[in-house]
Amino acid sequence: MGDFIKHPVVDMPERMPAPAIEADKLVFTDDEKKQMKTWVSRYPTADGAIMRGLWLAQEKFGFLPPEVIQLVANEIGIPYANAYGVATFYTQYFKEKKGKHVLDICTCFSCQLCGGYDMLHYIEEKLGVHKGETTKDGLFTIQEAECLGACGSAPMLQITNGPFVHNLNKEKVDALLDALKEDKIPAFTSVTLPQDEDEMGGNRRSDVSSIESYSVRPVSETLS
Amino acid sequence: MEAKKTKAGDWRSYQRVLLPPVKDLHKLDVYEKHDGYKALREVVTTDKWDPTSVTNEVKKSGLKGRGGAGFPTGLKWSFMPPVNPEIPRFLCCNGDESEPGTFKDRQLMEYNPHLVLEGMLIASYAMSIKTAFLYIRGEFADWITLMEEELEKAYAKGYVGKNIMGSDFSCDIVIHKGAGAYICGEESSLMNSLEGKRAYPRVKPPFPAQKGVWGYPTTINNVETLACAPLIINRGGEWFSKIGAPSHPGPVLYGISGHVNRPGVYEYPTGMLITDLIDEVAGGMRGGKKMKALIPGGSSTPILRADMIDGVTMDADSLREAGSMMGTSGMLIMDEDVDIISWLRRITHFYHHESCGQCTPCREGTGWLENIVTRIDEGKGNVRDLDLLLDLCTQMEGRTVCALADAAAWPVRYTITRFREEFETRCLKEMAPSGGVLETA
Repeated sequence: MGDFIKHPVVDMPERMPAPAIEADKLVFTDDEKKQMKTWVSRYPTADGAIMRGLWLAQEKFGFLPPEVIQLVANEIGIPYANAYGVATFYTQYFKEKKGKHVLDICTCFSCQLCGGYDMLHYIEEKLGVHKGETTKDGLFTIQEAECLGACGSAPMLQITNGPFVHNLNKEKVDALLDALKEDKIPAFTSVTLPQDEDEMGGNRRSDVSSIESYSVRPVSETLS
Repeated sequence: MEAKKTKAGDWRSYQRVLLPPVKDLHKLDVYEKHDGYKALREVVTTDKWDPTSVTNEVKKSGLKGRGGAGFPTGLKWSFMPPVNPEIPRFLCCNGDESEPGTFKDRQLMEYNPHLVLEGMLIASYAMSIKTAFLYIRGEFADWITLMEEELEKAYAKGYVGKNIMGSDFSCDIVIHKGAGAYICGEESSLMNSLEGKRAYPRVKPPFPAQKGVWGYPTTINNVETLACAPLIINRGGEWFSKIGAPSHPGPVLYGISGHVNRPGVYEYPTGMLITDLIDEVAGGMRGGKKMKALIPGGSSTPILRADMIDGVTMDADSLREAGSMMGTSGMLIMDEDVDIISWLRRITHFYHHESCGQCTPCREGTGWLENIVTRIDEGKGNVRDLDLLLDLCTQMEGRTVCALADAAAWPVRYTITRFREEFETRCLKEMAPSGGVLETA
């Protein structure tokens, strides 16, 4: 064979990595177990609950190393291979340890045209890491995201699979990063429909404190 | 040239019905005051309606799916096999909404969640379904929480669950949280995702109505499509069929993004002139620039040059004539400064990232599309790369289990054919210093 193929075409994950979560912490509480049972009961077969189970585990442990996937599979009652297949298929499940706050910056086409890459590069420079990397203090991971479904308020980002931050500009990013350093995660933001602004004079929801509108949309200096 | 004519009638005085201007409509008590769950009550408690007559009313309305393919909804519902009490049947409401440029369903869930739930229940009644799933993409975590809260309130009031409003109709709604995969918007991979598998699309036939989730009869509809059902019951299929373009009627949520002054989601009838939507509804081009191109309905619908949209209206027929598709009506408007090649590069990157990897033409093809478009974008391209790309598109289209390969190939094909000069210029410019190998006629 010679050395024609020097390394696998695809980087294979390590077969038996050292556990990342200590064995005594690798348990679900009774409440969590109960929650899983509720989910399982909602589907014709237990498999349906695996996605919810993995979500719960990710929120608890931060990411999904093999031993956590095994734990979820045992709890739901499905084979490990099925659970592993699901965990590795979907991008929102973190297979390796991420920073405390994961910033998913959308750069898909609406955001691209409205300065999504400016924002991505600005955040990269400000934090001193590239996309896909985590800062040394373990606070932030930056990721380039595909369309997050908020094209009307582009550019935007999502914080750790949670709240959206709309209509980004540099000042907003600065303020956001400062707030996140103090663990202040922004509240749910409602983007006002332009027609509501015309007909109702503003956002229709009275229970939301944080409101965005097209009228505060930034104009990027370097539109592509 | 034929005169510009809108099919939307007097759209300037249009009264919204999907997102009517009511303060706090997302709250159950406010929704109830504004005819909320009236359609469902009528359907399940009076003799006026039975499952067939509901389906017929939807057929009469001419409602076409709002998720991209534009399939007649009533017809889809009638594909479900006859009821067999031993075989469960399912409804899936598709709220995956990951097509770039589309952001309408999210607004519907945020501002009028009970309309979506009521629509799901009416559809379930029409098809004698006892379990309905609402699949929402994982990125919409906040909206999933909101829908779950509202669903709980609807359960508490007896609108969902056992013996709805004292009738013998029972239906449960389960909200399923996705985890970030574009492909889940495709109906058969959505079913696999629901079943807790990797979201690989399935070969059709068998179609979902025969063999859907867990092998049982299933119908899959978009969020916006199902939200139209209560309106059709309340005001009649005939009223609905008279809104907008006759061949593609109804209210539609236009998601307008890109270089316009007022981007956002707008509710108007179908058949709006594209020029009206841009100039009047969305406040015109930002910075007074000229328009270069637009995408009428999400990233996979073919791009239209600014000189191709005169008199074109937003409905299936008119857009087909113009050389594009209605898709999800998520419009992206691009101004004259847009570098169409690097824009296309980003799209090919998207499809390469989102290809599920099941079929070779798509898994490999999307990668090659990205590689070659990137090469051209970086100025290292050759003119013959353009024909290579078109050939690659031909090799991908229609040769895979689902339509993702087609969706990936179309933007490349139509952007190249419709902006060929720009691509050739980028290629030639870089060829010249090496000795002008290529001659231009």
